[in-house]
Amino acid sequence: MALTRRGFVQFLARGTGAVVAVGVAWTASVSKVFREVLPSRSVAPGNQKWVMVIDLAKCDGCRDCTKACTAMHFVPPMQEWIKVFEIADNEAAGPYFLPRPCMQCDNPPCVRGCPVGATYKRTDGIVIQDDDRCIGCRNCIAQCPYSARSFNWGEPPHTAEEMARPYNVEYNYPHRKGTVEKCIFCPEHLRAGKLPACAATCKMGAIYFGDKFEDAVTNGKGETIQFTKIAKRGASFRLMEELGTEPSVYYLPPASRKYPAPDEKAQIEAAHTDMAGMAH
Amino acid sequence: MEAREQNLLRSVLENTWRFYVWVGFLIVILLWGLYAYIHQLRDGLIVTGMRDQISWGLYITNFVFFIGISHAGTLISAILRVTDTEWRTPITRMAEAITVFALCIGGPMVMIDMGRPDRMLNLFRYGRIQSPIIWDVLGVSTYLTGCILYFYIPMIPDLAFLAVQPRLASWRRRLYSTLAIGWTGTPQQKALLEKAISFMAIFIIPLAVSVHTVVSWIFAMTLRPGWNSSIFGPYFVIGAIYSGTAGVIFSMYVLRRVFHLHDYVEELHFRKLGLLLLAFSLMYLYFNINEYLTAGYKLEGSERLLMQRLFVGDYAVLFWVAQSLCVFIPAALMIAVLGIKRYHRYTIPGVVLSSALVIVGAWAKRYIIVVPTLRSPYLPSGQRLPWEWTHYHPTWVEWSITGAAVAGFALIYTLMAKLFPIVSIWETREQREKVAVSELPDEFVPSRWWKPGTVVPILAVAALLLYGRSANAAGPAKPKLPKPTAITVEWKTVPAAQAIRESVPDESTPLLPRARVFLYTGGLFSLQMPHDGSTEDDLKPSPAVAVTATLRDSSGAPISFKPMEFSAKTGLGTLAFGSRPTLADGKAQLVIKDRRYGIYPVQVVFHGDEEYAPATFDVAVDFGARPAPALPKIGVLITPYATPTIAVPFLAFYGAMWVAFIYAFGYLILWKMRGFPRAADPVSSKTPSAASRLPSVHQGFQSNFPSK
Repeated sequence: MALTRRGFVQFLARGTGAVVAVGVAWTASVSKVFREVLPSRSVAPGNQKWVMVIDLAKCDGCRDCTKACTAMHFVPPMQEWIKVFEIADNEAAGPYFLPRPCMQCDNPPCVRGCPVGATYKRTDGIVIQDDDRCIGCRNCIAQCPYSARSFNWGEPPHTAEEMARPYNVEYNYPHRKGTVEKCIFCPEHLRAGKLPACAATCKMGAIYFGDKFEDAVTNGKGETIQFTKIAKRGASFRLMEELGTEPSVYYLPPASRKYPAPDEKAQIEAAHTDMAGMAH
Repeated sequence: MEAREQNLLRSVLENTWRFYVWVGFLIVILLWGLYAYIHQLRDGLIVTGMRDQISWGLYITNFVFFIGISHAGTLISAILRVTDTEWRTPITRMAEAITVFALCIGGPMVMIDMGRPDRMLNLFRYGRIQSPIIWDVLGVSTYLTGCILYFYIPMIPDLAFLAVQPRLASWRRRLYSTLAIGWTGTPQQKALLEKAISFMAIFIIPLAVSVHTVVSWIFAMTLRPGWNSSIFGPYFVIGAIYSGTAGVIFSMYVLRRVFHLHDYVEELHFRKLGLLLLAFSLMYLYFNINEYLTAGYKLEGSERLLMQRLFVGDYAVLFWVAQSLCVFIPAALMIAVLGIKRYHRYTIPGVVLSSALVIVGAWAKRYIIVVPTLRSPYLPSGQRLPWEWTHYHPTWVEWSITGAAVAGFALIYTLMAKLFPIVSIWETREQREKVAVSELPDEFVPSRWWKPGTVVPILAVAALLLYGRSANAAGPAKPKLPKPTAITVEWKTVPAAQAIRESVPDESTPLLPRARVFLYTGGLFSLQMPHDGSTEDDLKPSPAVAVTATLRDSSGAPISFKPMEFSAKTGLGTLAFGSRPTLADGKAQLVIKDRRYGIYPVQVVFHGDEEYAPATFDVAVDFGARPAPALPKIGVLITPYATPTIAVPFLAFYGAMWVAFIYAFGYLILWKMRGFPRAADPVSSKTPSAASRLPSVHQGFQSNFPSK
């Protein structure tokens, strides 16, 4: 066939037509093929959006929250679902304590990366971990920038109390070897209208917990405050906002503390041990 | 039969005592690795050196390494085939073999790394196409299938040739003749074979690139210093091809020595492949500089610790050794032996030593990519944990399994080299005889490669991936309907504009919109909230509720100037609003401007004083309907169902690959080729005596190899 300009233009037009046709067919069929239906397990029992506010100015690093969490969920040794870090922002700034539960991100990297949907987002904002489904690939651990996930490397030690109940994602035990675990905001407590174990235990009242739709958060001392007010007036921040994970845990800055800072605390403890040593 | 072909056949026909010793040695290592794995299965991954902080180690290193090595076959074979490079023929089979066997070892490394290998099938039952792990499953399995076909299809003529070798055991001849699927070497069959091979070669190249890209995405799709890098895809692809080429050179050298293939694998091949290896080493050097200089120059907060550890800290020795082995030394060595004339005589040892260094260095490089990054997370979780929980030291189990992986690779390679001729007999002969393929008649080449039926595999793959999800899907729950409430204290909703006027009466309306810098991007992934997605949302007033309480005495007269305390009962506590005084008319008003939804009991308390007794009022105040529970539309990425924008490219790409495989192998080789032996050449049969009468070079190998 002769090489003509008309022929080439027609060839290009046919190609464009084909691309457009495929595009139209695709857009028409995509909603049928990929039905964006919310799976039933993602629907939370209530219509809430849980948030946690941690007042770093009140945290004295006693780690009662960790102990309460461990006791409530029978957390295996070497795991801390809420971990209290001792943190310093820069060389000049004094250190402070930072309790780190799971951030229950609204854009959770772990959920994005899970190959089997063993971790998923619920409509109340909780990132649930389903250890009946987890294959132990630990991609979520690699994904989580908050190091909030732990793995059962060996068979966790069991107690009779732990084994007495069948496994449920809402309390996440009995623990199984080869699966990933993390803080889940105690959905079992929330169902019963109680605070999560860590918030209920905190003697300093540093951990506030509540429903964002109620615009109220409550701490273990029974103090209820308006969430938007303390978030605003307290200049709250979320950990690593720059990563875009949109956590559900807000922190109030560790300013004007009324308890010894980590350094001082260590000194006091050292002094106590010295005293004890001298006494003996 | 030429002497060199007889020599080549000896590798298939004869076994020496050395072969048995070697195989026995490898089997011992494999069994030891198996013991280690059983140990790991029984006790869990606690027997490895991995812990919560460094949760991936040698296994993932091995996975990336072997997938990288597997790129040899693609490059040498497919690229050289597509560009019709003549010297490739003796080495294509070795290269393709490396690809298949490295994939057979690399893929299972991920399963060994899994905490619950017994739940493997969940990947298919519940697989989410949004996860990089599933991309890898899809990519590696497609690639393995393609490589097996690409290894097998060019071998068909050789298999037909081996099927009539009387010196072989009968089971082997039966195996070969089954695998040869009726190949008799007619021109039509040859045309189909060439077509299938070139078709596969074209499709294998993008597939190989995609596979190592998705391997790199396992790392690059995370928020981790050192992995959070846009260069990772090409960086891994180049690294993979580089180590793969080194693998080919090294195996070429070993096979040449073991099987005395000096007639086939000449210095030319080491020279040409050495030049390729040199080119890749320089490209890899370039990528390394890009990767580490961009991070090391800026020393950005989270990456600073990692860079410090790599350049001068904990991992510095390993880092510089890996870089030297992987890039610096081989590049320098190859420039010397390939580029400087007086050292040309060292070409073979120089290139082979370089490739050996590259293989070891590539492994160390993978380790350097995986482990130090995990050691340096944003939030190091190692506080108050024992030392071994934050530092990674591979245990004997991991080393044993790694050793077994290498031994397994060597064992498969050894056995396959015994089972199949490791140098393509028909291609090397063809190259020697300079038979032009273009002489073949054109009429047997189908003009249209696509058929309507080829859409089915794409749909099948899509259906498989979607199957698991459709089962547990259900509709969202209905939002709670606001119920009318009994009012004992008056309350009303104040419009937003009025509310803001009431709240800030003194402040005049600013002439210019307030400028503010937002250090966040608002609500992109937030759950459904009354949020228009703009960052200005927080400047807009929200509707308010005015609660008015009237305090009267028993006679009904208003009591003025008394404090009234307001509080609301929330789900977990009681929110105190503070107190307001009653005015002259006995009314106290509280305007609540909180962002609250739903109905809450508001309590108004008068605590009483000397004159008046305490009183309490309860009223249910409706703050407006709660938003319906839902996961964000825009954030479908995070939801458990398939997302078209992510699923489509993967399904389309790998679906196209499967279509290509089905066409090249299923249609061209299995289906179309059947018809030709008798139609074109009724005399030709499987008996060598009948075939040996035919003189044509196109007639396959029966004619040229008289049986004893």
